[in-house]
Amino acid sequence: MPVKIHHYGLLLTLLLLGSCVKDERYFYDGLGKRPVYVPASELRDIRNEAPQPIQLSGTIYLRDSLLFLLEQRKGIHVFNIQDTLNTINLAFFKIPAVTDFTLSGNLLYADSWKDLVVIDISDLQQIQVVDRILGVISPSLVPPLYNGIFECVDESKGAILGWEDATLTNAKCVTE
Amino acid sequence: MKKLLFTLVFASFLFACSKDAAFDGSSGKSGSITRFAVFQNYMYVLNLNEVQTYDLTDKQHPKLVHRLSTDYGLETIIVYNNTVFIGSTTSLYILDTSNPAAPGIKSKTDRVAFSTGGCGCDPVVVKDNYAYSTIKVIENGCGCISAVSALVVYDVTDQSAPAVVGTYFLSIPDGLGYKDSYLFVCDEGVDELIVFDISNPTSLVQTSYSVSIIDPVDLIVDGERMIVSTKTGFEIFDIRDVTQIRKVGQITK
Repeated sequence: MPVKIHHYGLLLTLLLLGSCVKDERYFYDGLGKRPVYVPASELRDIRNEAPQPIQLSGTIYLRDSLLFLLEQRKGIHVFNIQDTLNTINLAFFKIPAVTDFTLSGNLLYADSWKDLVVIDISDLQQIQVVDRILGVISPSLVPPLYNGIFECVDESKGAILGWEDATLTNAKCVTE
Repeated sequence: MKKLLFTLVFASFLFACSKDAAFDGSSGKSGSITRFAVFQNYMYVLNLNEVQTYDLTDKQHPKLVHRLSTDYGLETIIVYNNTVFIGSTTSLYILDTSNPAAPGIKSKTDRVAFSTGGCGCDPVVVKDNYAYSTIKVIENGCGCISAVSALVVYDVTDQSAPAVVGTYFLSIPDGLGYKDSYLFVCDEGVDELIVFDISNPTSLVQTSYSVSIIDPVDLIVDGERMIVSTKTGFEIFDIRDVTQIRKVGQITK
């Protein structure tokens, strides 16, 4: 079931036009969620970064002794787990706004905001983007597993990197 | 001497890197929670309310060749014995892949009688003629009212008409997997990996072999071992003897 977003702003405008009485009912103040953006210009910045700790895990994929683990909206960790007592944090692929991926051969397929990207990972320490299919993915514009008010996504600011708690004024979006 | 040592260390690093970087081309496996699946020469991607099919004939340059409309809420996709199963927040779908370039819907269940819509992650695993799926409901999350979290078992012998044959209430279940006649379910609510005996799929028995683990999310069964991801790490278990699951490793802190 989709989470509906209500754009009360338009409704309010109509009400105002009709009544000329200022009515704040459909703007929300208080604790809520605010999108954290990554500028669109940085979406193409896909590259290796130093191995790093896991903050919020996602999809996992095992091939031989390599464990690929998604870092929500940031990238993909790679661990060598051959020696279970001494697992090695091998690599990190920075993929802005990624939410899922899979592997086939030496290629990694992942979403990155509205695009599908294809990355050659033959060399784990030097990944290379080989294709980007534009605008095929429809990212969610609602905070996940959340119920309440939030600042509507302004796509002109870029892609969503996450959601932060914030004290909102005149928030126009609410989950239902 | 120092120089020699340095050279040796450096050389061993080089060796380690080249070894790590080498793939043998074998295929791997994902956990139970993912929206991407490679099937034959195609890749299926779940996107809000559609299943996208990409032609991978030219692997480096996938081509979007088909879009199958569904309801909203697609969550997870898996391939089992050449059959594609999709878990959504409201239903279990089985795809008709007689033409893998343009899949259709073979069947779609009403997810569960007691759910009024449901929400959360809904991974599915399949063994023989039964599909096992968890439904996670965060209290007051996603606007869910009077819905519950559970493990649901479907008889999928008739793929055009799957039927619910069991429901087992859990706290906050998430990813799942199995080995032989044991089903492992991550339950974030009680911080446990719960083990069910699925010898009789229509009547599961929750065993006492469960393992404590903080915030488990998903798992991969890999022969004699099992990798369990958590919110901020992973742990590795020896599952040769499921009655005595042993932790043998974790993410190096």
